[in-house]
Amino acid sequence: MTTEDIYEKIKPVFSKVLEHNNFELTESTNTNDVDGWGSLTHMIIIEEIEKVFNIKFKLLDLMTMENVGDLVNAIKSSTD
Amino acid sequence: MNYIDNLQESIEKHYNKNAFFIDDTFFTYKDLAIEISKIRITINQTLNTSEKLIGLIANDDIKTYAAIIAFWLEGKAYVPINPEHPQDRNETILKSLETNYIFDSTEKASFHGFTLLFPSKTNNENIDIKANSIKENDLAYILFTSGSTGTPKGVPITYNNLNAFIKAINFDGEFKLNSSDRCLQMFELTFDFSVVSYIFPLLEGACIYTVPRHSIKYFYIYKLIKVHQLTVLSLVPSIIHYLRPYFEEIKAPQVRYCSFGGGVLYNDIIQDWNKCIPNSKTFNYYGPTENTIYSSYYKLNKENKTHNGVISIGRPLNEVTYIIIDKNNKEVPIGKSGELALSSNQLTPGYWKNEQKNKASFFFKEYNEESLRFYKTGDLCFRDSENDYIYLGRIDFQVKIRGFRIELSEVEFHAKSKCVKKVNMVAIDILNDLGNAELALAIESEVFDTSEILENMKEKMPDYMIPAHIKFIKELPYNSNGKIDRNQLRTYLK
Repeated sequence: MTTEDIYEKIKPVFSKVLEHNNFELTESTNTNDVDGWGSLTHMIIIEEIEKVFNIKFKLLDLMTMENVGDLVNAIKSSTD
Repeated sequence: MNYIDNLQESIEKHYNKNAFFIDDTFFTYKDLAIEISKIRITINQTLNTSEKLIGLIANDDIKTYAAIIAFWLEGKAYVPINPEHPQDRNETILKSLETNYIFDSTEKASFHGFTLLFPSKTNNENIDIKANSIKENDLAYILFTSGSTGTPKGVPITYNNLNAFIKAINFDGEFKLNSSDRCLQMFELTFDFSVVSYIFPLLEGACIYTVPRHSIKYFYIYKLIKVHQLTVLSLVPSIIHYLRPYFEEIKAPQVRYCSFGGGVLYNDIIQDWNKCIPNSKTFNYYGPTENTIYSSYYKLNKENKTHNGVISIGRPLNEVTYIIIDKNNKEVPIGKSGELALSSNQLTPGYWKNEQKNKASFFFKEYNEESLRFYKTGDLCFRDSENDYIYLGRIDFQVKIRGFRIELSEVEFHAKSKCVKKVNMVAIDILNDLGNAELALAIESEVFDTSEILENMKEKMPDYMIPAHIKFIKELPYNSNGKIDRNQLRTYLK
């Protein structure tokens, strides 16, 4: 799966969970940059992404995730 | 001995040891002592001795922690201000203090009419951490919590209160840190669990690991536990609710102590969590801010005492007196539920400039031939035949979200205040799928655009007080007493 494909698939997950479209997702986007992206919504986003890609993240991946770039890389390595 | 002298002694004894790990950097006790000394220079140059209170912008850095100790050494109290909270709210708090001074390590704070303090810029590395003489009734800190009339209420805690608390924990002996411990500090400084998370490690020369404000806390905490092999954890229950799907991957045998507080603790999750920390002593602490951090605790075992799956809050600390009372402040028999009232040397002298609230919350009562001053906690509890206490819920409209106390009426007040439609609104706590409490707002009306209401609430209240869900409802459910039936409302909102 290409990086672009992944971005295309995760954007609707963010919109659905956060209930708005008022954000851009780039490699360096983090929780500070997006309204409503916090402790609880992060958990729901992770669960939704696991469903969409049919993967299960490891806690080790999640604990070091600092931005959308890290998230996309974790999806990539799980789907490869 | 008081805790401030002990702090000085511990800092001097552990100069070469790490005191803090903040934002990927270690700071030694000597670094801390130098920062404290610089802040003392500033205080001595600007404030006269009669100025007792200083607003403290609660940043996650070494200077902010150093400021707390510097203020104490000078006999002054800190009043933590969260820079992420609305300016309006912070100004209300600062003005009620009648202080002219705010300390901000980032030097950015701007409050009209206040003088901004920051560490002295001299290159002076002389260390001065000897305490000035402190009167026992001087204040150590004031914390502000949600108030029902739309203004936050202040809880002042004296040096004496804090001394009594530290003495009670040490007397008990169940929780005893040493200088090789690595301790988690996950709390905002506006929340009193932060005080236990920094003060016990500092008193023993241990290292404190802080959690940045904007991190996803539960993952960051796990990272600290794993990478830095933390040995002492103080947590709110919601952290383990978030981590629960990953318990199988968590192995932390080095953890010696794990303390919970700030919300109800369920037995089923704790049984699973204890497999992640197999060598830990685990405690369920209970205590209102008014009685200085912890008032009682239950030590967890293989088999725990529970009521409806919720773990007991145990027995009061040494020198804390608990009674269960009815509406007339009369004690009820063992096993009967009523309001928990407590009395001790840890008890606040009273809410900050709030006589009305003080009259409602404190009362004197004969107890064992002594006249004691009691505080009514607002918590519904009962005492069982083994003298353990069980928490059942609130008797009023206060809830806890992420460990923060919220008066639902304050949320309703700000929701209604800018709404042009005169409709009824009810704020209520509901449990999400993870078992964590969230705030919802039910509006009795046809659907309308709520963006203005939300905007106004965000201007007036911190983020944890903003409802996560807004639902419209044709008619609010009432019970036979004509009061809103909150239990039924909860089921509508699920």
